[in-house]
Amino acid sequence: MYKVWAVIRREFVERVRSKWFLISTILGPLFMIALGVLPSLLATRTGRINQIVLVDAGATGLAERVQAQLGRSGRFQATILAADPDRDSAVADSLTRAIQAEAIDGFLALSAVTVEAGAAEYRGRNVSSLRDMSVLESAVRQSVVVERLNRHGIDPAIVQEAQSRIDLRTLRVTKRGTTGESGEATFILGYAVGLVLYMVILLYGINVMRSVLEEKQTRIIEVLVSSLRPFQLMMGKVIGVGSVGLFQFSIWTFVGWGMVRYRRQILGWFDVPAEAMNAVRMPNISSELMTMVIVYFLLGYLLYAALFAVVGASVNTDTEAQQAQQPVMMLLVAALIVSFGALGDPGGQLAVTASLIPLSSPVIMPVRVATSDVPTSQVLLSLAILAGTVVLVVWGSARVYRIGILMYGKRPSMKEMWRWARQS
Amino acid sequence: MTDQIVVDVARIAKRFSGHVAVEELSLQVHRGAVYGLLGPNGAGKTTTIRMVMNITMPDEGSIRLFGDSRGGRHHSARIGYLPEERGLYKRMRVRDMLVFLAEAKGVPRARAAEKAGEWLDRLGLGEWSMRRVEELSKGMSQKVQFIGCMLHEPELLILDEPFSGLDPINQQVLKDTIVQLSRGGTTIIFSTHQMDVAEKICDHVCIIARGRKVLDGALAEVKRVHGGTHVAVAFEDSADGASAMREIDDLVEVADDSGVFAELKLRDGADPQLVLERLLRQGVRLRRFERIEPSLHRIFLDKAGTEAAAERREVGRV
Repeated sequence: MYKVWAVIRREFVERVRSKWFLISTILGPLFMIALGVLPSLLATRTGRINQIVLVDAGATGLAERVQAQLGRSGRFQATILAADPDRDSAVADSLTRAIQAEAIDGFLALSAVTVEAGAAEYRGRNVSSLRDMSVLESAVRQSVVVERLNRHGIDPAIVQEAQSRIDLRTLRVTKRGTTGESGEATFILGYAVGLVLYMVILLYGINVMRSVLEEKQTRIIEVLVSSLRPFQLMMGKVIGVGSVGLFQFSIWTFVGWGMVRYRRQILGWFDVPAEAMNAVRMPNISSELMTMVIVYFLLGYLLYAALFAVVGASVNTDTEAQQAQQPVMMLLVAALIVSFGALGDPGGQLAVTASLIPLSSPVIMPVRVATSDVPTSQVLLSLAILAGTVVLVVWGSARVYRIGILMYGKRPSMKEMWRWARQS
Repeated sequence: MTDQIVVDVARIAKRFSGHVAVEELSLQVHRGAVYGLLGPNGAGKTTTIRMVMNITMPDEGSIRLFGDSRGGRHHSARIGYLPEERGLYKRMRVRDMLVFLAEAKGVPRARAAEKAGEWLDRLGLGEWSMRRVEELSKGMSQKVQFIGCMLHEPELLILDEPFSGLDPINQQVLKDTIVQLSRGGTTIIFSTHQMDVAEKICDHVCIIARGRKVLDGALAEVKRVHGGTHVAVAFEDSADGASAMREIDDLVEVADDSGVFAELKLRDGADPQLVLERLLRQGVRLRRFERIEPSLHRIFLDKAGTEAAAERREVGRV
């Protein structure tokens, strides 16, 4: 056991000391800060106010209504230009030149036809801003509706009332009651959980592969196997690299907790007003979810690390490793893709099946737990299948590894590796 | 118990797809011996050592270490092994690397660190102990690896080609260390094809060629048995040498002519005295004329060379 401990310590210490660890540990929280702050930042930052001209070609009263509506949006400032309906093409030409000269951002042509047939035209420099165009369109639509109702003699007060805004709040209900989380926040949380698990399992799995390959390439493996059993060596390596993962994970969790706790101050650094904080509600990370993520990370990591160790043991060069790692990576990528599907329908047949299959369950089950209520029986079944598979795969991998690490030259075929796994 | 057998290899064989690497090989190493495993490239030295170390398994035969057949890894703490293919973790600091290697043999961390420091100082690498392995020169990293295989004070040291790649100064350092360890009671097995070194430090030699043992015995015994009359001659210059060799050609069976130096094996019945007389009469200026035991180099060429020649003949026939 002392020897395994020495291997674990070496893997841990050398990795934690490396630049790679430092960089990824710092970049992780920066990424999280970006995720936390950017939405608030974007929600409050108003863009430049668009200066536009409303061409009123006989659209009696409509132009004033649109002007008022646009003014309220805070994104447009409109000036009305009354034009003779017969000369509208000449007006349009001169305003187009004004746009080209950057004197105005655009112009909106309103005429009698606008109220009757609902046709209006906007020309502008920037028509691809979805947000601005939707503001413009809704201002025109609302004004036309009010104008038409007025013409039919409806009481302006009634029209006013009918126009009041409708707000749809979406709240997630779990067994413990209404959570206060919005549907959007739940989606983001599920998405983040899936992505983080995918990235961390892949990152540390590949680390194990590289470490095995390094020992093979530098030929230090020969000294090691004369001192340690290959199984001790492989487990020491897998556990050592895994502890680095857990360590990094804890740093991130701690930083994440601190960020949520001191969110007001952090937003302050970016000049985001405190009210904006409530614009995006932070998803609530329960301790149950946290436990799930860690347990599934550990089991998923063990499973994939064992597979990656086999890849490392079966190749001789980095280039070969790049190729040989593809099948294992594809398994993980497939799990990630299915997890996006699971986000939309966490209780659906696809999600449930994939959360039981051991190669995809480490990514998908936590996503389901983050976004819905998963029956405990399913979680237990998934864990049991996963744990059983881990034991089998680690056992088989150790046998292939044992032979692979001392083999140089031609890459073994799947058939040969299968034979290695079976021979004693 | 000075005569205890530490390594007992009995009739082992190892075949790789298509060719025989080792066949019918038996050898015994006694406690405290310095045992030289000699042979040309591809003779099966490394394969034999790897089987002794339990890295690969023999197809036939048995290997017992310390009177026990459980294999090299079981006795790992008592054995130090320097493989032919050298390798260290490039990114690690020299001292950490050594501590790790010792820990893998079960040496407690503090003790390993202390010993590593001592040895690094002793082999002149003290100031490199906190540097990374990748910064070392080839010779230095080879010394580091040598330190790594003996930090746990093994009873048996197995060195595969320990001298290859070292400059004369480091070869000397290594040779001194081996002699010192041997005096301290360590049994040492090493493979090499540098006969001059082997001749100086081995008690016992075993020559293998094409996977088979061609000679095995105590060095003194081997030399005595090899037989023949051997003479070493050194000339003033190579022109002298050339004319001298022509003059005495009929008295010499085999000549290892190196220009200004020659080791001669005389024909049966030829008298060294006669050789000297002829040379003097010819006016050859000599720096040395000595009747010697055959050198290990000569024996090696005779034994391993015949094997190689036999192989060539066989190939020719096919």
